[in-house]
Amino acid sequence: MEEMAKVAFGLYALIILGGSLLAVGAKSLVRAMVGLIATLLGVAGMYMLLNSVFMALMQILIYVGAVCVLIFFAIMLTKADPEGEEAESSPLYQNVLALLAVLVTGGVLSWLVLTRPLATTGVPVEVTIEKLGLGLLGPYGLAFELISVVLLISMAGAVLLAWERRNGK
Amino acid sequence: MSPLTMYQLVALILLLAGLFGITQRKTLVGMLISVELMLNGAGLSIVAAAQLTPANAMLGQLGALFVMGLAAAEATLVLAIIVVIARRFGSTKTSVVSTLKG
Repeated sequence: MEEMAKVAFGLYALIILGGSLLAVGAKSLVRAMVGLIATLLGVAGMYMLLNSVFMALMQILIYVGAVCVLIFFAIMLTKADPEGEEAESSPLYQNVLALLAVLVTGGVLSWLVLTRPLATTGVPVEVTIEKLGLGLLGPYGLAFELISVVLLISMAGAVLLAWERRNGK
Repeated sequence: MSPLTMYQLVALILLLAGLFGITQRKTLVGMLISVELMLNGAGLSIVAAAQLTPANAMLGQLGALFVMGLAAAEATLVLAIIVVIARRFGSTKTSVVSTLKG
């Protein structure tokens, strides 16, 4: 079983790596979305490996089911370029600066992660859905209510922003 | 290398891909995709740190759930902003939407 977990981890890591490269590098935004969906599914697999099945299901339901469809709507509602939205090459200094940002951040953070290992338990703990629900209704109830308010306000704000007045009124 | 370090390196890959995308993309939708990548990396890192250490595992999972909720709210608002910009400027390229550029 230990070997199986390692193989699955490697597979999901490969899916995440390839998907994120496609999501960042594709010329066409629809192809980038396919890469993003692959990445999200890979992260869902990682959640499965971490013994948090509920998180994996929520990842697929919220991200793949809702957020990706929203971004597809955003692509549809804006005028798409036939030869790809990102086809024109960006200036050299922009690419250099992007690479510099990635290298510096990646260097510092990976150095921190690699030189300061935390004490781990090795085996992921199991949290049942009941415990999660009790936590949401008990000690973390305020955060639960606040996130629903945030969602409501963002929904109302989106409707308000995108509202198109009819001519003549 | 401990399992936690490996998970955190994967989360770091997601963060770096998103960072590269958001600095290099030329359309607003491409930047939105990069932001989603970075938020996913944050969620993965939180859940891995909570599940593999003696810390409170329930708190970690709930935190990652809140990250997902905020990502959904953010995507909704950004969609509306992109629609408004596409209507007003006729394009969502960042080179077109640069009225404030000096």
